[in-house]
Amino acid sequence: MKREKRFYFDVKWFLILAVAAFLLIFQVFPLVFLVIRTFFREGSFTLEGMRRIYTYSLNWTCLKNTLITASLSMVFGILIAFPLAFLVGRTNLYGKRIFRSMFVMTYMVPPYVGAIAWLRLLNPKVGVLNVFLKNLFGLSGMPFNIYSIPGLVWVLTTFYYPYAFITISRAMEKMDPSLEEASRISGASPLKTLFKVTIPLMLPSVVAAGLLVFVAAASCYGIPSIIGAPAKIYTVTTRIFDYVSVGSAEGLTDASALAVFLMVTALLALYAADFVTGKKDYITVSGKSVQPSTVDLGKWRVPLTILVILFTVIVIVIPFATILATSFTVNMGKSVFTPGNLTLKYWNTIFSRKSILKSTGNSLTYAVSSATLGMIVCVVMAYLLKRTNVKGRKIPDFLITLGSGTPSVVIALALIMTMSGRFGINIYNTAAIMIIAYMIKYMMMGMRTVTASLSQVSPSLEEAARVSGAGWLRGMKDVVLPLILPSVVAGWFLIFMPCFYELTMSILLYSDKTETLGVELYLYQTYHSQQTAAALAGGILIMVTLVNVLLSKLTKGKFSI
Amino acid sequence: MSVITIDHVTKRFDDVVVIKDFTAEFLDGEFVTLLGPSGCGKTTMLRMIAGFEKPSEGTISIDGKTVSSKDVFTPPEDREIGMVFQSYAVWPHMNVFNNIAYPLKIRKIPKQEISERVSRILETVHLSQYEKRMPSELSGGQQQRVALGRALVAEPKVLLLDEPLSNLDAKLREQLRFDIKEIQERLKISIVYVTHDQSEAMTMSDRVFVINSGVIQQVGSPVEIYRNPVNPFVADFVGKINFLKGTSSNGRIVLDGMDDTLDYGGPLTGRVEVGIRPENIHIVRDGAHLSGRFVTEYYMGEENDCRIRAGSAVLRVTADAETFRSFGAEEQVGLRISDFLVFPEGSEDGRGNE
Repeated sequence: MKREKRFYFDVKWFLILAVAAFLLIFQVFPLVFLVIRTFFREGSFTLEGMRRIYTYSLNWTCLKNTLITASLSMVFGILIAFPLAFLVGRTNLYGKRIFRSMFVMTYMVPPYVGAIAWLRLLNPKVGVLNVFLKNLFGLSGMPFNIYSIPGLVWVLTTFYYPYAFITISRAMEKMDPSLEEASRISGASPLKTLFKVTIPLMLPSVVAAGLLVFVAAASCYGIPSIIGAPAKIYTVTTRIFDYVSVGSAEGLTDASALAVFLMVTALLALYAADFVTGKKDYITVSGKSVQPSTVDLGKWRVPLTILVILFTVIVIVIPFATILATSFTVNMGKSVFTPGNLTLKYWNTIFSRKSILKSTGNSLTYAVSSATLGMIVCVVMAYLLKRTNVKGRKIPDFLITLGSGTPSVVIALALIMTMSGRFGINIYNTAAIMIIAYMIKYMMMGMRTVTASLSQVSPSLEEAARVSGAGWLRGMKDVVLPLILPSVVAGWFLIFMPCFYELTMSILLYSDKTETLGVELYLYQTYHSQQTAAALAGGILIMVTLVNVLLSKLTKGKFSI
Repeated sequence: MSVITIDHVTKRFDDVVVIKDFTAEFLDGEFVTLLGPSGCGKTTMLRMIAGFEKPSEGTISIDGKTVSSKDVFTPPEDREIGMVFQSYAVWPHMNVFNNIAYPLKIRKIPKQEISERVSRILETVHLSQYEKRMPSELSGGQQQRVALGRALVAEPKVLLLDEPLSNLDAKLREQLRFDIKEIQERLKISIVYVTHDQSEAMTMSDRVFVINSGVIQQVGSPVEIYRNPVNPFVADFVGKINFLKGTSSNGRIVLDGMDDTLDYGGPLTGRVEVGIRPENIHIVRDGAHLSGRFVTEYYMGEENDCRIRAGSAVLRVTADAETFRSFGAEEQVGLRISDFLVFPEGSEDGRGNE
């Protein structure tokens, strides 16, 4: 028998404390500081910062723009997502599996890719779709102008409705079919059952889904900066970015006031979403479960399928095809199929230009680091949550959820303000600050998958290892980790992917040495060559698809996004 | 010699006392059962022996070494015990051989020896043909044998079993009961067995600890606790029993609501509770102690289980099938009581008459 110790040093608790300390220093402290900075100046409480938002008209306009675009996106997102979720999840629509994976896949595509595509399609002067429609109907002017509030809402909606789609279809799939069967047996027709039972039961998740879209749209930076800025439509996120670029003290105060406003709005909305659904289940991986009974569409089956195909073509196929076409086009004024207009040079560029390769390398490094460190945090914290009964074991889970709900600009701003040497830590302009920001924003994906799978591993499996003579670490290595491995792999990719093409935080935090792929793409799109940007975006699209297939294969179809 | 010593152990979860001042010695080679209803604290006690829970107070020693006290705590992996879990806890990602070999691998035993010892254990638990199988390809009973093999392979002095049979169906349960007992006698290992099933406790144990609400009610051999339960709880939990209230005086007990009396030579006087096991009630023509009316019978094969109303109580009576044949509903019958138990009234809660 080995030693009998008084206080035996426990690896488990060491790890748990280390991770808790990490969250406290790099997440809680910066966010708290941001709030304090907004309300306290020179040691006393003041509403000066908040007052400036409302009195300074430019700030007030941003706020209005954000609220209007986010609210409209929420409404349209739901109007699109609910019927789609119903058709795909609960009816005998043709090809519903393919539709489902296409809608869900959009979720993994960086929103700025959509902005780039729609910019190209609906540019008021040369937009491809605009020109096409003008010629088709013999219009005198261009039918659409992307540089407008409706344009912004359109792109936001088409890129954020998948959030609502995922939430609603999950709820639909989980619904107990006997509730509907009870209605049928009581004499209600399928349609009556839909309106009297199904929709009321879905209401909480519909509300939650709407709030998710709202928060995502309000926190988005890529779309409003690419579409809004040229049109001089500023939102809270782009405004914060401008303030930070200027870098004056007054500017930072305004930025932090706007950021606090955005953060509070987002967190309140997410809290409300949580409250109505009664559980923490915002954005998670698709879990396929037993499907409730399907509704026969009858004579509507073909027309509705055509309608969904049409939607898919407009919202997914056309934009993505545009991106790819643009990346092969020499002269953007002409069609890619015009003789002599087809080129591979932009694809060559993205695989040969040093700066692009460097940025890609950086992104890869940061994304791999964030995913790896993030998964360590997630596994340890999921263990703390599910396997111990320490008071406050739910706090790290809460913090990780909070981090993911906090808008990216806010996280970046808070880190800039606190991690630039003012409090003894100076990691500004380093890779570390990027990795930390990514982790805070995206760890929740990993946390959800690991927690779910850990709760399916009976504690006695681990205890059996302990009585067999294995210490905690050995038991983790031999028993727990192998059993939760698929979810760890899935979680790793779910963190890796958004980090790889991240834009919002990167653009606030990058330096010459730490430029990332998202930033590179953004700069090309805005200043240099839209074709190169399109080639990069095309590359990202292909990668997202490949990763998704890989993930599905690696975890034997259990996880995909 | 005692192999496990539990000295004044109390366990609280927050403010709830789950085990209260538990003191016991389990002897070398002894088969001890902790028996009690669910939530009585028996599993918590077992988990404290294993080292998965820390006692709030008190000391636990295994094989002469203190493993748990105010100053000492040995983690489970260093306690050198075997344990079988209710859910089997057979690792689904390892085959049968690797599951059983695991404790030996941890102890860095040479490969050759591991494979010899594992084959020997496989034989012991009747799984020789299955070493390459994955747990998902085994039945529940076979999985539980794997768990048993894994717990035995490192040759621990103590084997802890936490309701190991409760997830199995009735036939398998009986078979495994027999197997466990046989292995224990062959390997001369000490077993602490936790169950809520009194028939498991009765058939396998050398000593039974009956526990209720975290407190030991009675310790004794199966025969002792069945024959001489110290309180109505034990009497009720171990076996079937009818309870009747009455008053004891002058060597007789007058039962409430009945004209009948029972002769009683014991020391208790005043209000008492009388416990009568169904097999000690006989339906007779002459020499009856009680009279009752036949209510209903349940055919159970070798014997019948029937209900007879006596006064305001309905008594459960068992006897061979022939005895009841001749009675119709509400027919008057005579009952002779061959043995009964007497407790002071209100002496212990937790009993329930059928």
